[in-house]
Amino acid sequence: MELLVTMLANFLATDGALLGAGIAALTGLGAGIGMGIATGKAVEATARQPEAVGKIRTMLLLGLAFAETTAIYGLLVSILLIFVA
Amino acid sequence: MGDFSSQLLATDKFAGLKDKIFPSDVIVIGGFRINDSVIAGFIVVFVLLVVALILRLTVIRHWKTTPSAAQMFLEWLVSFFDKSADEMTENYSKLMGPYTLGAAAYICCGVLIEMFGFRPAIADIGACFALALCTFLFIHTLGFVKNKARRLLHYVNPINIVTDLSVPVSMTFRLFGSILSGMVIMDMVYILIESIWYFGLPLILPAVLTPLFTLFHAFIQSYVFASLTLTFVQEAIESPPKKPKRKKQKASAV
Repeated sequence: MELLVTMLANFLATDGALLGAGIAALTGLGAGIGMGIATGKAVEATARQPEAVGKIRTMLLLGLAFAETTAIYGLLVSILLIFVA
Repeated sequence: MGDFSSQLLATDKFAGLKDKIFPSDVIVIGGFRINDSVIAGFIVVFVLLVVALILRLTVIRHWKTTPSAAQMFLEWLVSFFDKSADEMTENYSKLMGPYTLGAAAYICCGVLIEMFGFRPAIADIGACFALALCTFLFIHTLGFVKNKARRLLHYVNPINIVTDLSVPVSMTFRLFGSILSGMVIMDMVYILIESIWYFGLPLILPAVLTPLFTLFHAFIQSYVFASLTLTFVQEAIESPPKKPKRKKQKASAV
């Protein structure tokens, strides 16, 4: 019984952290979908109105920065879980 | 059930990576600690000041109506930030233009210093938080200067307090996370290619990947920081709609 508890604690402290790091990397999923939609819409907008390309680019980059933030948070969490925990 | 993580870190190839996540202290005097990121930051500030002085003494002194290449570049750089500040924050563009240019230059050069073997100045959470705090102060001082007491109406909705407080945190972690991840990925590549010795791959692979993870991040993150600052300031100095007028319009429409 004691051995089991030790093993479980060991698992949660080391391999559990690695598992969590893997799960945290799933944030890339949402960010990827969001950035893909944003880029596609920007391409559509540029095709429809090529003279507004400057404004569209500014807004696109700003939106991409916001979408990218969640992915960066996930990456930070997984890096911290692997190397610090 | 063995522990794989200890084995992963036990292959002393990746052990060096663990020390690079957080900056290591170089000088410790009591509670006053200087880490390697701060030293890189000092170097960046010094280089930026020297470059500014040299440009002031050479290019700007010989300002002409028929511009040289250096003058064209300087004019483009300064007017790029001034123009976007002009568009977003009309009355305060004299303040916000130079601030965004300075912050963007510090972020860009602070990341590019990685190319010279230093730890990037921005890969320290303190540096990111300092920059985000500057932006936070700008947002709220300008908001109160422009709208005076009317700005307090903004806080009637308590959700807005949380929104405002999350701005510096989100800016800090966006900057820190992206620069740190770029740095860690490059360090991992350097460790991995040590074992590949054929075809001169250790020479080519970093040369291809460094622009992706360092140069790209440097420019994109400095641009994003500058434009996010301007967006938040624009949001803060927006004058709230006056209610009496709206009522009158509605009354006349009815």
